[in-house]
Amino acid sequence: MKKFLVIALLVVSLVVLAQPKLTIWCSEKQVDILQKLGEEFKAKYGVEVEVQYVNFQDIKSKFLTAAPEGQGADIIVGAHDWVGELAVNGLIEPIPNFADLKNFYETALNAFSYGGKLYGVPYAMEAIALIYNKDYVPEPPKTMDELIEVAKQIDEEFGGEVRGFITSAAEFYYIAPFIFGYGGYVFKQTEKGLDVNDIGLANEGAIKGVKLLKRMVDEGILDPSDNYQIMDSMFREGQAAMIINGPWAVKAYKDAGIDYGVSPIPDLEPGVPARPFVGVQGFMVNAKSPNKLLAIEFLTSFIARKETMYRIYLADPRLPARKDVLELVKDNPDVVGFTQSAANGIPMPNVPQMAAVWAAMNDALNLVVNGKATVEEALKNAVERIKAQIQ
Amino acid sequence: MKNVIKLFLWFLLALLNVALFWAGVFLFQNEYYELSIVLFSLLFLIDFFIINPKGYPYRYVIPALVLLFVLVLYPIYFTFKVAFTNYGTGHFMSRQEAIERLLYDPNFSYVVDSTFVSYKVFVVYDGLSPTEDFLILFRMNDTIYLGEKPRPVVARGQEVLLSQFNLIPVTVETVSLNGDTFRIVPWPADLSEINLVVRGDTTYKSFYSPDDEILRLNAPYFKSRIAQSYLVNAEYVLPDGKKLALRIAPDGEWRFMHVERLYRLAYKEVYDGGKMKIKTTVVNSLTGREVIEKEGAFYDVDENGNETFLVGFIDFVGWKNFLRIVKDPKVSGPFFRIFLWTFVWAVLSVVLSLAVGLPFALVLNNPRLRGRNLYRTLLIIPWAIPVFISALVWRNGLLNETYGVINKFLLPLLGLDPIKWFNDPFWARVGVLLVNVWLTFPYMMTISLGALQSIPPELYEVAAIDGAGRFRRFVHITFPLLMTIIAPLLVSSFAFSFNNFTIIYLITGGGPPIPNSTTPTGYTDILISYVYKLAFEGGQGQDFGFASAISILIFFLVGGISFVNFKLSGAFEEVSR
Repeated sequence: MKKFLVIALLVVSLVVLAQPKLTIWCSEKQVDILQKLGEEFKAKYGVEVEVQYVNFQDIKSKFLTAAPEGQGADIIVGAHDWVGELAVNGLIEPIPNFADLKNFYETALNAFSYGGKLYGVPYAMEAIALIYNKDYVPEPPKTMDELIEVAKQIDEEFGGEVRGFITSAAEFYYIAPFIFGYGGYVFKQTEKGLDVNDIGLANEGAIKGVKLLKRMVDEGILDPSDNYQIMDSMFREGQAAMIINGPWAVKAYKDAGIDYGVSPIPDLEPGVPARPFVGVQGFMVNAKSPNKLLAIEFLTSFIARKETMYRIYLADPRLPARKDVLELVKDNPDVVGFTQSAANGIPMPNVPQMAAVWAAMNDALNLVVNGKATVEEALKNAVERIKAQIQ
Repeated sequence: MKNVIKLFLWFLLALLNVALFWAGVFLFQNEYYELSIVLFSLLFLIDFFIINPKGYPYRYVIPALVLLFVLVLYPIYFTFKVAFTNYGTGHFMSRQEAIERLLYDPNFSYVVDSTFVSYKVFVVYDGLSPTEDFLILFRMNDTIYLGEKPRPVVARGQEVLLSQFNLIPVTVETVSLNGDTFRIVPWPADLSEINLVVRGDTTYKSFYSPDDEILRLNAPYFKSRIAQSYLVNAEYVLPDGKKLALRIAPDGEWRFMHVERLYRLAYKEVYDGGKMKIKTTVVNSLTGREVIEKEGAFYDVDENGNETFLVGFIDFVGWKNFLRIVKDPKVSGPFFRIFLWTFVWAVLSVVLSLAVGLPFALVLNNPRLRGRNLYRTLLIIPWAIPVFISALVWRNGLLNETYGVINKFLLPLLGLDPIKWFNDPFWARVGVLLVNVWLTFPYMMTISLGALQSIPPELYEVAAIDGAGRFRRFVHITFPLLMTIIAPLLVSSFAFSFNNFTIIYLITGGGPPIPNSTTPTGYTDILISYVYKLAFEGGQGQDFGFASAISILIFFLVGGISFVNFKLSGAFEEVSR
C-alpha cells in the first residue's frame, strides 16, 4: 500500500486547484486588519481573501521562488526597495492610475515607481530618527556637536553603566543620514531614474559624513562593536540615553515603560540637516496571478481608501503614506517626530543594483570603525567593489 | 476474498496509471519536459516491476525509486542545468515566454485613443442571481456592436494568453450569427436604453455599464466573475481591425479603450553562409525598430540608440559560470584562500570536537562513575538546543566585544585584555570554531560512547594480564577499535562542517571584512557562505546560474575528499581483522 500512498501524494501535489480567492502575504502586524478588510471585500465581491503571515524578511525570497512558477500570493505587502528586482523579473504588475492617487505623498509614489510605472500602493513610510530617553535627556540636541557633548557627559556621569549615544556603527543604513546630509548619494538621481553608473559614496560629502562617525568612535562615544541588538536592548532597559532607530522599534520602548521622545536626527552642522533613508511599505500585485485584475481592484478601491489607511495606521502606527491620514494622526508625537526626520530623507534606491551596495558599505564602515582602513581608502574601495559587481 | 483484494489492487494500479499519465501529460503541456519524462519512466518501471513476475523483488524498491528520482536525481539534474544558464535576477522566464509576454501582455500595449468606448453587459439570470453567461454591446460612432464571450486564441498549457472575438455590427433589430439569432430590445434605441438581448430562447438582461448609476451597483460581480475570468486578456476586434480591450481608467472605472500591441512579430531574411533563412524577430510597432536580443534579454532601441531593458529570459551560457571561478579575478582571487580556510575549518571542527567529546565518553563509560545518566544528559544539552538559538546566544551574549560575558567578566577576572572576537581575523576564526565545537562535541561524545560499548571487555583483561597500563590500553585497543567504528561518521561530519553555512552566517556573517577586496569576502567565509554572498547579496540580486556552478564545484570537492577519506579510513579495517 505504501507505494501507492507515496505516488498518490505526489500526484495530488501536482494538481493546481483554481479557486476564486485572493491570497495576501504580509507580516505579522497587518494580518488582523487585512483579514477584516478581506471579509468586507468578500461581502461585496464574493471573493474570499486569505491572509497568510510570512516573516517580513522571507516575503521577497519566497515570492521570488514561487511567482515565476505561477504560484505565490496574489498580493504581497513589502518594501519599496524590492520593486526594481521584482519588476525586472516581470513578477509584479503595474498599478494603473486610480482616483485617490493624488492624496499620496510624492515620495511614497516615487519610491514605488520603476521605469516610469507605479508598481505598488504605498501605505506607510519610515525613516530613522533620534529617539531619546527623557530621564537623561530632557531636550533633544539640535546639532551633532551638541549630541556628542551630551553623550560624553552621560558616559562620564554614569561611568559606563548608561551609554550616552548608540547607533549601529557599522551598518550603512544607520550611518547614511551623515553621508547623505553632507552631499553623498548612492546612485545619482536623473530625470530618467537612477543612474547606477554614478555612485556618490566616496565623494567629499560621503567622506565628511563617515569622518563624523569616525570622530565619535575616536572620542569613545560609539563603540566599534555597537550593533542593532545592543542599541535596541540597552535603550529598552533604560541603559542608553539616545539612539537612532526607526518607528518599528518604539512600541517595545513604550511597553518597557521608557519615557522616550522622538526628534529628527540632529543637524550635522548648523543648517546642514541629516538625511536618512526613507523606506516605503506597500502592497504589490503578482503579475502572474490569474486574479490580477481583482487584486488591483482590492488595492485601488479598498486598501487605498483614506478610511482603510487610517485603520491600517491604527493597527500598526507608522508614518502614513496618504497625506490626509497624517492630518488625522497629528496628535501622535512619535509620528510627528519621524515625519520631520523623513521630510529631509532620501528614498532608498529601488534598483536591483542596490544589493551590491549594502555589503560593500557595511564592510567599509566596519573597517573604518575598527581602524583597519582610513575613511578615504575604505569608501573608495567600497565604490570600486560596487562598480565591479554591477557592471 | 483474496481475489477481491487482488482485483482492488489491480484497480488501484490502473488508477495510478491514469493519474501518473495525466500528470505527465499535464507537465509536458506546461513545458516541464524533464519532470514529465521522469514521471513516464517511473510509470513504465512501476508497471514493469508489478506485471512482470521476474520483477517481483523489485516491487519493494518502488517507493525508494520514486523518492530517488524526485528528491535526488531531479534536483541534481536541475542544478547542473541551471549552472549552464544565466538564471537569476532579470532572467526568470524562458525565451518563448519572454516573447509571448512582449506580444500578448496587456502591459506591452498602448492606448491609441484615450476616449472610452461605452459598453453594456447583459447576463442570463438563474432565478435572481446572475450567471457568467454574458454578452456585451458596444457603441461607437452611432453603431451598436455585439460581442460574445471571447474565445481563446493563444494559450500556453492551460493559461490563456489571448482571447478574441470579432464584433458584429448591429443595424437592425435581429441579427443572425452561426445559427443563433440575436434580438435587441428595444430597437431602435441608444445603448443606455436597451435592456434585453434575446438569443434564440435565452434572455440576457442588462447587468452592468460604467456609465449607468444604477447598473454600477453590479460592478463587484462584473469585476470579480466576468471581467476577471474572461476579459483580462481579451480583445474585441472591430470589422476594420481595430481592437478594444478592458483597461482600468484613471478614475478607477474599468472601461474599454482602443488599444494596439506595442510589439509584433516580423520575419526577416538573413543570409547565413550563403543560404537565405527566414528569422523571426520582434518589432516595436510604434517606432518600427527591431527589438535587440543580447545576453539573454530583449532591449528596445529609441532613435538616439538608447537601449531600454524590456524583458530577460533564461539563456544557455555554456561554461561561462564555471570559467568565472577561474578567470574572473574578483572571484578567483579570494577563492583559493577561502578554500584553504574551509579545509582548515572542517578539519579542526572535527578534530577538536572529537578531542573534547572522546574524553567525556571515556569518563562516562567508566561504570564506577556515579550519576552517569545525569552527566550525560547535561552534556547533551548543547546538541539539543536549536543551532539558531545557541548561535545567537554565543554571538550577542558571550562573544560580544563590549557586553559579552567573556570579554566583560571572564577575561578581566583572569587579568586579560578583552578579545576582538569579530574584528580580529584570528580571533574571529577561533570564535566560530569555539561555537562549532560547543555545538558538535555532544555528537562526538555520543557516537564514541556507542562505539566503546562494542569493544569486548576481555581484550582489556588480557591486556591487563600482559601488564599494559591504562595509556597503552587506550592507544593499542580502545583508539584503533573506536576508529574502525566512528571513522565513517567522522568523514560525514567533516563533509557537514565543510558546508556548515548556518554557523558561519549566524556568528560572524563571514566577517571581519578583508580590506581592499573587490568581492564580499571576509576572513571567516567558507566556500558555501562566499557563494551565498556572491550569488544572492552582491551584484544585481540573485544569480542562480553562478551559484549552481559553484555548488557543483563544492559537490565534487566534498565528494572527492570523502572518497579519499573513505579510502584512508579503510586502513583502520585492517586493524579489526
